[in-house]
Amino acid sequence: MTAPLLEARDIGKHFGGVAALRRAHFSLLTGEVRALIGENGAGKSTLAKILAGSVKPDSGRILIDGQPAPISSPLDAQRLGIGIIYQELDLFPNLTVGENIVIGNLRYPESRLVNFQRIDDFCRPFLEQAGLRCGARRMAGSLSIGEMQLLAIARALSMNARVILMDEPTSSLFDDAAERLFGLIRELKGRGVSIVYVSHRMDEIFRISDRATVLRDGETVATVEVGATDAAEIIRLMVGRNLNIAARPYRRPLGEVVLEAQGLTTGKLRDVSFELHRSEVLGVAGLVGSGRTELGRALFGLDRIRGGAVHFQGRPIKPASPRDAIRSGIGLVPEDRRLEGLMMHMSVTENSTLAVLARIAKRGFIRRRLEISGLGPMVRQLALDCPSLASPVETLSGGNQQKVLLARWLLLDPDVFFLDDPTRGIDVGAKQDIYRIIDGLAAAGKGVILVSSELPELLRCSDRILVLSNGRLTAVYDAKEATQETIMASATNFGTSSRQPGPLTGKDAS
Amino acid sequence: MLDLLRRAQSLAALSGILLLAILISPRAADGSRIFLQPGNLTDILRQISLIGIIALAMTFVILTGGIDLSVGSLLALSTTLTAMALTRAWPHAYYTSHILGAILAAVAVSTLAGALNGAIVSALRIQPFIVTLASMIGVRGLAKWLSSNENIDIGFGRDLAAEFAAVFREKAIVIGSYACAAALFWILLARTVFGRHVRAIGDNEKAAQYAGLPIRRTKIWVYSLSGLLSGFAGVLYAAENHQGNPNAGVAYELDAIAAVVIGGTPLTGGKGSISGTIMGTLIMGVLTNMLRLNNVDSNVEMMIKAVIIVLAVAVQRGRNSIS
Repeated sequence: MTAPLLEARDIGKHFGGVAALRRAHFSLLTGEVRALIGENGAGKSTLAKILAGSVKPDSGRILIDGQPAPISSPLDAQRLGIGIIYQELDLFPNLTVGENIVIGNLRYPESRLVNFQRIDDFCRPFLEQAGLRCGARRMAGSLSIGEMQLLAIARALSMNARVILMDEPTSSLFDDAAERLFGLIRELKGRGVSIVYVSHRMDEIFRISDRATVLRDGETVATVEVGATDAAEIIRLMVGRNLNIAARPYRRPLGEVVLEAQGLTTGKLRDVSFELHRSEVLGVAGLVGSGRTELGRALFGLDRIRGGAVHFQGRPIKPASPRDAIRSGIGLVPEDRRLEGLMMHMSVTENSTLAVLARIAKRGFIRRRLEISGLGPMVRQLALDCPSLASPVETLSGGNQQKVLLARWLLLDPDVFFLDDPTRGIDVGAKQDIYRIIDGLAAAGKGVILVSSELPELLRCSDRILVLSNGRLTAVYDAKEATQETIMASATNFGTSSRQPGPLTGKDAS
Repeated sequence: MLDLLRRAQSLAALSGILLLAILISPRAADGSRIFLQPGNLTDILRQISLIGIIALAMTFVILTGGIDLSVGSLLALSTTLTAMALTRAWPHAYYTSHILGAILAAVAVSTLAGALNGAIVSALRIQPFIVTLASMIGVRGLAKWLSSNENIDIGFGRDLAAEFAAVFREKAIVIGSYACAAALFWILLARTVFGRHVRAIGDNEKAAQYAGLPIRRTKIWVYSLSGLLSGFAGVLYAAENHQGNPNAGVAYELDAIAAVVIGGTPLTGGKGSISGTIMGTLIMGVLTNMLRLNNVDSNVEMMIKAVIIVLAVAVQRGRNSIS
């Protein structure tokens, strides 16, 4: 083939004393879909950010069409035809869709006054290409996450990007939105646009990419033809060892009912009923916006319950705040660990013990020896990897941050755990650790509600799976009998079907 | 490690200014440096004590991501109430109980005003800047109204009010109060559940809510403490100036905020320390003293302070972006 469209040689980057990239190499052909994979901390996001000009490398060279192309700002990258879609979408929620596309856009002829008609005309073709069916004057903040992603793609297209970098684009999408994204990627590839796809998800990589570059500890380990390899090989390259995907664990008999919802109705949920038993992992599947997060919010006292009842060990409860819910014995690990979970500047210890300070304090004074000694077993149980318990959690990898958040709730030890997508955006190894923790909670007689965007994960961990769609419960499956296809079918069943929900109680299901 | 570095940097800044102050200090008749005379050094400590005391509680407020603009007005209210209670109320009370009663009344009222700030901030979810701006205006009005906009003189005679002033303007009492308050607030922040909650709420209030922390209660306490220390500073002010002055403490909130910020607590909250705030207060105090000893115009002094504030925060930002 011809000279590579984009080539990065010997890229190095340090943050403080930590090397994010040592000697990373990367080259990309025109019209290629390239997966960029590696465990958390391997340096893939840093590499993507360097190519997009938002992070400056310490060393190394970047070439475009064989010519040296110093990229020192996002504007440089835009001029060279490189667009990026960040994991945390960098959109302006209070501007319109059109304004988001034209702002800072070199292709849009600048004018002193905002002319919405001109913006509309400029944006229309790109919105169409990206498959975003909404007016250019809609507020960006009112879009769903999936739509925001399409908007970010439309923005990159409007800048005439020849390379689009996508940093874990499906980490917050459910399968249907991801499906649409894959279709779009194929289309872009057909038009000669190259895609660099940063991801953790093995199945996606095999479905959409031509080649995969594996990073490990800041170095390029290998670039492989996806057609000539398999998942086990790629995982081996990523972790440098063979990782057995844990088999489905032994299921133990369910205990008594610990939590029961009858006709639960909130602003988002409609008439949701279910029972949760001790020693049970109840999976919750649903598209983003199906009400799966809102189910947790209702049980945890964050959303007002407008109808129906919740019983905890037979007693009716109506939590008015998280504090209330915690007192009842319900714990919730939120979906967004940075925004809703962790105190990023505080230490591992301080974050872990935050909810149980009353237990380790005497007359309001924290007994620090007790605080630290109580954490030891927890650190081992979670296989937590951090330089020191006094390190601020912002210095940890995503997987370890998630473990710190889990530690907080494990220490609090509620009877019911609501885990909202606990493996979102974390690496393969940490995922396995978290599955082990979930198994352990069930073994200890806890009731666990597990929300996940990844169906294989739900099938691996759950005893039963609830499927929500548009705020309603559309099906309940025994995890042994469910398949990804049946769950998807129920999840996309938008209230028009007359299909009855499946069996509702654990006893019936087993 | 990082904490050590932060403390070391504040300490380095303070040492630098101290060194400069010693070097450029004018000399007394006997050739000694005036800056280093014990009388001068203790004068510095007394001068910074009022702002220092207010800045301690201000650190807590800022750590939660809030701000308290009402401290200067609360000081004025407290100083007015102290003087009024001493000169006009309870004519038949015993000396000691009268003095104690006056102090308690003044401090209690400003603590309650602080609690009201906290309650409005947390219950109505109005930004602390707005709430305390309103109470800065309102409380100032209250102090002026109570005193009919006049200074209430405590006098220098042999009566009760003058006795009070004589005791509470003693250097040892003033500096000792600051030292005790500093030690207490240090322990409160570093060692107690309350202090941990304060930092957690400032770091990530949403996460604090999810973790079930008592956010409202903590905020009300934080603003109450701010009221309490402002009130206490008001008592010391009355003694030092021999009067209750409803126009006292104007712009004190800005000096207190400056001390906190120079001490390394960002206005966004979440991280910071009492030791940093003490350093910040000392830096400002030594700077003022140094400039005055060298007869620098007080307007020039303000300009230099402005540069120091920006410089201090710029250095902190640089350090943070490295880590």
